[in-house]
Amino acid sequence: MLKIKDLHAKAGGKAILKGLSLEVKPGEVHAIMGPNGSGKSTLSYVLAGREGYAITGGGVEYQGKDLLAMEPEVRAREGVFLAFQYPVEIPGVSNKYFLKAAFNAMRKHRGEPEMDAGAFLRFVKEKAKLVEMDPSFLNRSVNEGFSGGEKKRNEILQLAVLEPTLALLDETDSGLDIDALKSVAGGVNRLRDPKRSVVLITHYQRLLDYVVPDFVHVLSGGRIVKSGGKELAHQLEKEGYGWIEAAGKAAA
Amino acid sequence: MDRGGGEGGGVTPILQQGVDFAARFAAAKDRLPGAGLPWLASAREKASTDFERQGPPRSRRADWRFTPVDAVLGTDFEPAGRPKSHSGFAGKALCPLTFHRLVLGNGRLLPERSRYCDLPAGVSVSSLAQALQDDPGSLREDLGRDLSAEGLPFACLAAALFGEGVVVRVARGARLDRPLHLLLACDDTESGRPQMAHLRLVIILEPGASLELIEESLGGGRAPFWTNLLTTVRIGAGAGLKHYRLQRENALGSQTSATLVELGRGSRYESHAFSFGGALLRADLRVRLAAEGAQCSLNGLCLVRGTETADHHTVVEHAAAGGITRELYKAILDERGRFVFDGMVHVKPGAQKTDASLYNKNLLLCDDADVHSNPEFRIFADDVSCKHGGAIGRLSSEAMFYLRSRGIGASDARRMLVYAFGSEMIERVSLEPLRESLMAALHARMPEAAEETA
Repeated sequence: MLKIKDLHAKAGGKAILKGLSLEVKPGEVHAIMGPNGSGKSTLSYVLAGREGYAITGGGVEYQGKDLLAMEPEVRAREGVFLAFQYPVEIPGVSNKYFLKAAFNAMRKHRGEPEMDAGAFLRFVKEKAKLVEMDPSFLNRSVNEGFSGGEKKRNEILQLAVLEPTLALLDETDSGLDIDALKSVAGGVNRLRDPKRSVVLITHYQRLLDYVVPDFVHVLSGGRIVKSGGKELAHQLEKEGYGWIEAAGKAAA
Repeated sequence: MDRGGGEGGGVTPILQQGVDFAARFAAAKDRLPGAGLPWLASAREKASTDFERQGPPRSRRADWRFTPVDAVLGTDFEPAGRPKSHSGFAGKALCPLTFHRLVLGNGRLLPERSRYCDLPAGVSVSSLAQALQDDPGSLREDLGRDLSAEGLPFACLAAALFGEGVVVRVARGARLDRPLHLLLACDDTESGRPQMAHLRLVIILEPGASLELIEESLGGGRAPFWTNLLTTVRIGAGAGLKHYRLQRENALGSQTSATLVELGRGSRYESHAFSFGGALLRADLRVRLAAEGAQCSLNGLCLVRGTETADHHTVVEHAAAGGITRELYKAILDERGRFVFDGMVHVKPGAQKTDASLYNKNLLLCDDADVHSNPEFRIFADDVSCKHGGAIGRLSSEAMFYLRSRGIGASDARRMLVYAFGSEMIERVSLEPLRESLMAALHARMPEAAEETA
């Protein structure tokens, strides 16, 4: 599914990712944890194709193709989805229009007919119910005036509508109360499938109580410094990141 | 950002090809509508003199410095003749055909294209030439108005040279069952030469009356066409006018206009200007809130591209207490387009409790485009609430990435964001069929989607 090999990336001239390697197989859920500044968000943006990052070494293979050579919209159409840590407000573009444009762009890419407005509205209302979102949000401008929790729920709605093959969730759990966290987790769990993969990028272990990962990796200084099963998350929760960072520095 | 005015190095360009307006007036004055009326003849004479005294507006004048007026002054226009063909005019209009409709082709009323015979009681609509034959006395106050102090040279020119126009009068308490559509269309004549039309619109709403007026200009033909409009609007106490102005000239079409609005006690004026094309569009809008509790709402959306210029100058004068102004003009600029916004709200002494806001927001899609924005207040009362602001921005790269990360192609994403910026102004249009055709017209003017094939 996803093979990241010795990835090096710079932002604003500063090296952020310094030889990151990770392999995600179909059906697996991976959690990437790490302290602030370890490179978690850079990893998610580099994978989604945001401008402003220079790849200085290594590469990323997605379903056998060179992911980094694709435009961001092509990555999305090929099934890569990034749930943003800070979803963007787009005044004047209605949420349902945006979702329909995205949904139909995917279908067009797969050579399927586009869904008409009426059929799409019925479809998206069902999805909104699943993620426990009030359908009135479909008529509002994308994320405009949404609370932090509503924005995250809107990301999960997009996830449910677009049904990606590889979902990357960047701190989707931050700033959520327990009810919102449960419905976000529900949205992710519904997507779990032997053909799909999920990468959860998070600072805290909390989300992992609801979306149980197959693997946990610790990112520090732009590299994966430790990998393990779900018990690693509990260890990090108890002991913090200090021992990992100390170990990382000693190793360097 | 500024690519400079029309003049450089203090050298005045010699315009050998421009119209000699004084000679044109001398030759035409005995044949213009109402020529037999002494009061009108002297008003035309005075307006012509006022124009010559002020001189044509050049870029050395502060209020014309960003306006490439040579598009109009550098061409030898002849008075517009009958269009060669005019069958397609109404079909190209943004307005639905179900509205009451007057069509002026090249500045002449086309009765066979117009339909305004079934107006409700208390509403009269007529061509200005016809009204000057039927009841000239009723037009004396409006057509005899002294414009010398307004600083609007082209308005003086229209007052001197007008060859036609429209008079709309809505009697006390009356209203139209449907909106009134005034279509100003143009096309080539047999001569194939540049054409000009000077027109006057007279709109009178008596107390308690209401009207929705759509004034739509539509370019056509291969020769330059210049429309010069003077509109005077009087709105009586408690009356209300919604005035839509849709401008779609072609690449050789220019329009200059002056609109002078006088608002009575508790009356309302709502203007929506959509400038979607033209070599030069220059609109001067003056609104005077003459009595207590009057309200105006001035809205504008311009989409300029190529080497087009759209230039909106507005002056709102709060001359009485308790007036409300809400003004927002937006512009989308692509290629080498230019937009000029000069908005002044003038709060006179005694206009207490004035509540006014004045904003201009611009979206630049290309570095070669330029914007000159100047929202301004002059306040001579102390108990007022006045807010103003201007902004020039580009498409948000964050929003672009967000849309693309959901599979939406770059050019679709760009169009979506441009459209979102402009649609706010279209959503303010309360006439639904018009709103829909404006949405389509905005789409049609969008940046091309050629590069996106995936």
